[in-house]
Amino acid sequence: MDSFDLIVVGSGPGGYVAAERAGALGKKVLIIEKEHLGGVCTNRGCIPTKSLLNSAKLYTHAQDGKQFGVQAQGVSFSLLDAMAWKEETIKTLRSGIEFLMKSNKVQTVFGEARFLDAHHVQVGETVYEGSYLIIATGSSPFVPPIPGSKLSHVLTSDGILEIKEIPASLVVIGGGVIGIEFASFFSMIGTKVTVIEMMSEILPMMDGEFAKLMRRELKGVDFHLGCKVEEITPEAVLYTDAKGEKKSIAASLVLMSVGRRPNIQGLEKLGLDIGRQGVVVNDRMQTNLATVYAIGDVNGRSLLAHSASRMAEVAVSNIFGSKSMRMRYQAIPWAVYGNPESAGCGITEAEAAKLGIPVRSQTVQMRANGRFLAEHGKKGAGLVKVICHAQTGAIVGVHLLGPYSSEMIWGASALIEAELRVQDVKEIVFPHPSVSELIKDACFQLDHTL
Amino acid sequence: MAQQVVMPKQGNSVESCIIVEWKVKPGDKVAVGDVLCSAETDKSTIDVESTAEGVVLALLFEEGAEVPVMVPIAVVGEAGEKVEASAAEVPKQQIEEQVHVSVAAVVESPVAAAGQATGASPRARHLSDSLGIPLSAVQPTGPKGRIIERDVLSAKGQPLSPVAKKQALEQGIQAPASGSGIGGRVLASDLAAKAGEPAAVVEPVAEEVTEIAVKGVRKVTARRMMESMHSTCQLSLHAFADARALKRLRAGFKASKPELGLQGITINDLVLFAVSRTLVQFPAFNAHFLGDKILRFSHVHLGVATDTAKGLLVPVLRSSEQLSLKQLSEGTKELIGKCKAGTAQPDELTGSTFTVSNVGSFGIEAFTPVLNVPEVAILGVGTIVLKPIEDEDGDVAFVEHIGLSLTMDHQAVDGADAARFLKALMDNIASIDLLLAM
Repeated sequence: MDSFDLIVVGSGPGGYVAAERAGALGKKVLIIEKEHLGGVCTNRGCIPTKSLLNSAKLYTHAQDGKQFGVQAQGVSFSLLDAMAWKEETIKTLRSGIEFLMKSNKVQTVFGEARFLDAHHVQVGETVYEGSYLIIATGSSPFVPPIPGSKLSHVLTSDGILEIKEIPASLVVIGGGVIGIEFASFFSMIGTKVTVIEMMSEILPMMDGEFAKLMRRELKGVDFHLGCKVEEITPEAVLYTDAKGEKKSIAASLVLMSVGRRPNIQGLEKLGLDIGRQGVVVNDRMQTNLATVYAIGDVNGRSLLAHSASRMAEVAVSNIFGSKSMRMRYQAIPWAVYGNPESAGCGITEAEAAKLGIPVRSQTVQMRANGRFLAEHGKKGAGLVKVICHAQTGAIVGVHLLGPYSSEMIWGASALIEAELRVQDVKEIVFPHPSVSELIKDACFQLDHTL
Repeated sequence: MAQQVVMPKQGNSVESCIIVEWKVKPGDKVAVGDVLCSAETDKSTIDVESTAEGVVLALLFEEGAEVPVMVPIAVVGEAGEKVEASAAEVPKQQIEEQVHVSVAAVVESPVAAAGQATGASPRARHLSDSLGIPLSAVQPTGPKGRIIERDVLSAKGQPLSPVAKKQALEQGIQAPASGSGIGGRVLASDLAAKAGEPAAVVEPVAEEVTEIAVKGVRKVTARRMMESMHSTCQLSLHAFADARALKRLRAGFKASKPELGLQGITINDLVLFAVSRTLVQFPAFNAHFLGDKILRFSHVHLGVATDTAKGLLVPVLRSSEQLSLKQLSEGTKELIGKCKAGTAQPDELTGSTFTVSNVGSFGIEAFTPVLNVPEVAILGVGTIVLKPIEDEDGDVAFVEHIGLSLTMDHQAVDGADAARFLKALMDNIASIDLLLAM
């Protein structure tokens, strides 16, 4: 029987990073993947959606260039070419991960993993033995048992990435990150898009003021908030609105994006403690079994690729490294890559109120910024909000809506991780002209003293 | 010709400097301009350079001492040259001895005056602010319990976040050495966790902690006790001496006519008398051990450990072997009285050749007294207890015995020597009436 220092099951941004880090430490590592290296992120999530959204943004900008002195005729969008570009990107990244595994001497096995016990995993007929086991099996789209949810035109984020034609109309059920990114994409390429959300606002992690502006800026998308989908027919989606009235919207395509569920099938044999969110772990990513760790979506703690990668490092550090690392969740940034982009890190004012943290906040308009004005004009929409602790001045939340948000937000993570205060941030020099200067502007408005 | 090097003047406002580290030791060759030591002023750390050429003959202060400017700190001269007492000893003695008795005999000196500013040096305060280490969490090693820069540095752990730093200073919380932030940085939540640790175990109790600076007699005692434990090889022997003669005499003195002046003679006086006479027979125990030499003294200068409100003081009964019991008793009482009143003079507190410490009044039977270095031995006197003793006829009677604990420096004497000395002392105490007749 082949035996390893570490067996990693799942090769998404959690699993492959764990395998790479452990391999780099000189450990004998096996990674088991049932489909493609890279997991959902590379193959059916982060990367393909970014590829498609970029195509759609180029198409939009080509049409909107007149005021900037750029006129283009005969601009069209080819879904097939966009999809081909997306596939090309995925393949390149996959081979990159394959190279990473090889260069770190990680053995890769393709196939469905069967967990025998805490130290044995079977793939096909072969049983592998591992001193440690990292479960990184990820999550899958959740399809609620709504009548008609199994109809062929009802797709999840997996299926919608494979379509061949631009749908005339799309109903997106669920206004979370996935739903909003697809709504933005399809609205940009000419599909009539409607988002039906059960909660009273889209994007639950987003500041309320920002979500409202986001809805306004997602031109071509209709929103129905506080509505419950009752049934899906081949022609329409039937729902009850906030007032309790029954309504329907015609849809040639339906995207089911109400959430994701951890992939915990087969784990019960290990005797793992499994909670409502997924496999229960401590802040070292350790399960109730001392040699079994669970990282990424499968533990349900933070369903983001970058969280999974960090969890991988924490787990490997606790298995083979200094054992001092702990997962910290308070400064994990998120980003929504629609048009416009948005991103955030830390808490919102609503969350602060719930947690009983006294805060002060300052919102600034992006059009007050030189670079933003040059590129988007006076009518451009964008916001920056900085939230600080009312007493200590420590930055506890940064929220961005507008261009470059996803690229700027890491700075907010650093500020929050370092527990810097408004007065400290004011001492940092930001590049000019850049949209990021707005963070400093907000800080100055929170504290005028020098 | 030996020359003194003085603590240089650092501008008009600096009155004294703290010697942080000596860079030379006695015997080292130095030239003019060579760095002798680093010293901390209120504002900076300076290198003190030699102003003389030759061999370092003496360093007049220890590291950590606060020295007024223009006071000699070192003597440089020719190899083998004798250092005059006036050049070397005076400042050092001023520091050492005056601190020892300062609570009792208030003797003003430039050093004592400069050292009045207890607390923390400005440099230590600045560092405390910039690192977020509350001064209350720092162990002072400067003179008179003063916190100096290196004390703050030694309390330094992982950097604190700005928020944590402010909270630590405001609330006087000593941050943990590492926290839960990036690279172990200490966050405000780590301070909260630290502050909350005891509460997690027990019900929160309003705890009042009183902080007492280690200074004066306490500081001198602390230093001397550690010196004692570090520099000697201590061995204690315990024995009990027949106390019937002691008791009999004490009863007789007590009942004597007042005009004889004998009523105040105590059991302890009798023990001191026996010790003074026994030491004459055992000069090896009336001695100082100095590492490379042993000094034996012709007179017994008896140190009498004395418990005062300010702490332990050891007044010295000079030439005790020449005193009559009555003189010895009166002399002891006078010295103890001065110590308790705080009027003992420095020369009454130095120069003992052997020390006696009596804790018998507390009911202690035996203990291990700590050597009063450089003395070779110290006698602990315990309480009087009844011991079953078999007489010649095989009958067992309960006889009063006094506890004797002798600690000696095994570097200077051997266990058998100590046993012989203690046995002689036991015999002298048992037949103290005969000893008195001699």
